[in-house]
Amino acid sequence: MSVTSASASTVAAGTVLDLPAAARSDTAAGALAAAPPPLAAEAITVRYGRRTAVDAVSLTLSEGTVYALLGRNGAGKSSLLRCLLGQQRAAAGRALLFGRDAWRHRAALMARVGVVPEQSDAPPRATARQLARFCRPLYHHWDGGAFEGRLRRFGVPADLPFGRLSKGQQGHVALALALAARPRLLILDDPTLGLDAVARRAFFEELIGELADRGTTVLLATHDLAAVERIADRAGILADGRLLLDEEVEGLKLRFRRIWLAAAAAAPATALDAFAPLAARETVTGDWGVETVVTAYDDERFRAFQGSAAGAGAQVTSLTLEEIFIALTGAGADQLESAGAGGPR
Amino acid sequence: MKAAFAIDPSDPRPIWRQIEENVRNLVAGGALRPSTSMPSVRELARGLAVNPATVAKAYQRLTDAGILAVRRGDGTYVASAPPALSAAQLHERLRAEALRYASFAATLGATVQQAATALESAWRAFDAGGGAPDQAAAPPGDPV
Repeated sequence: MSVTSASASTVAAGTVLDLPAAARSDTAAGALAAAPPPLAAEAITVRYGRRTAVDAVSLTLSEGTVYALLGRNGAGKSSLLRCLLGQQRAAAGRALLFGRDAWRHRAALMARVGVVPEQSDAPPRATARQLARFCRPLYHHWDGGAFEGRLRRFGVPADLPFGRLSKGQQGHVALALALAARPRLLILDDPTLGLDAVARRAFFEELIGELADRGTTVLLATHDLAAVERIADRAGILADGRLLLDEEVEGLKLRFRRIWLAAAAAAPATALDAFAPLAARETVTGDWGVETVVTAYDDERFRAFQGSAAGAGAQVTSLTLEEIFIALTGAGADQLESAGAGGPR
Repeated sequence: MKAAFAIDPSDPRPIWRQIEENVRNLVAGGALRPSTSMPSVRELARGLAVNPATVAKAYQRLTDAGILAVRRGDGTYVASAPPALSAAQLHERLRAEALRYASFAATLGATVQQAATALESAWRAFDAGGGAPDQAAAPPGDPV
């Protein structure tokens, strides 16, 4: 990279956090004048034969975002991630990392990207320390001290073969390796899959520390919605290769609510009509009453509904990210039970 | 660090608001005394397992409101004289919490009178217990 953009001036990265000056200047120095987003998918399409696995998916991560990529198995997450990592060529569209095509500039870009794969391909006989020695020359800003420090905090022995570590320890080593390169972008593919609660907690605490210290941009594909809900500021849901939703977690939680109306209160048909202005997604009717998930909840409208004859006694509860995910991807009512959502029918 | 409050994922309020209101309550209730040192954004984010930017937003709002104060190079403290709630703020917050209590009571099938009686007796028990809820919550940022 040339030095001509040294005048780069105003990069806003890191101003929100009370980041140490070192982290700020590190971010600023690497950014070009117009600072392209760390990650952008532009209408990425992936096909396997006649099957479309990823269908024109576009999304952008601005600097410092923690983006949760959610989707059921087979939704297209892995294919999309491979394109973003430059490991797979999209049938159409492009993956841009820091404004450069991931497929064409993979080698150069990967020096600035930390990756924690779902299944580590580390040689099972190598120790964590040997892995670090192997990775070190591939990166510009390797921090060996931070690597050792993380292993200590995780309680992972540095001199035990990788293949003999527990699943949780392997995940911790993978994260420690990824963070040692001081990446500006971190891509994690279901990193806590199969980890127990304690190992998961340690993993996320370390990730949170990294966010606080360096304001790293993160793309996190995961099924661990309870953890992600606290960390992610934006979420995307993939279903059948399409991006169903791409928005701030905070807004998502504001607009999705479950509304419940006891059977005695109203005839189901009336209740259905009454829910309509709140954009009911799916209404389940049973002997016990009517329940629905609305996607455009609004306090005022709900109070009005409660005040009407049809809605007297209506109750509203908020949804966790997991419940929202299930409401959106659990598909038809026939799958509600297996997805664990909804009440008895 | 162990936070004196927790984040509730089933609470519809955004996490930064939950943090903000918890700290406000701890300060208003006297559990966090003026000039007490607050945990750093990093510590509290790790303790609550939330995004540091979320904690930073809550701290920023609390600082803007004069409840917290930042000493350059020396972290964040409870302000030496945190402002008391204005009458309007007091009213608004009581109203919001009352709404939650009222809807809970309604779910149980209680009458207004029963709910009011329960509130009154809870209030009296609290008064008899010695006033400020100091004992209820340990302040965060205890000496290590």
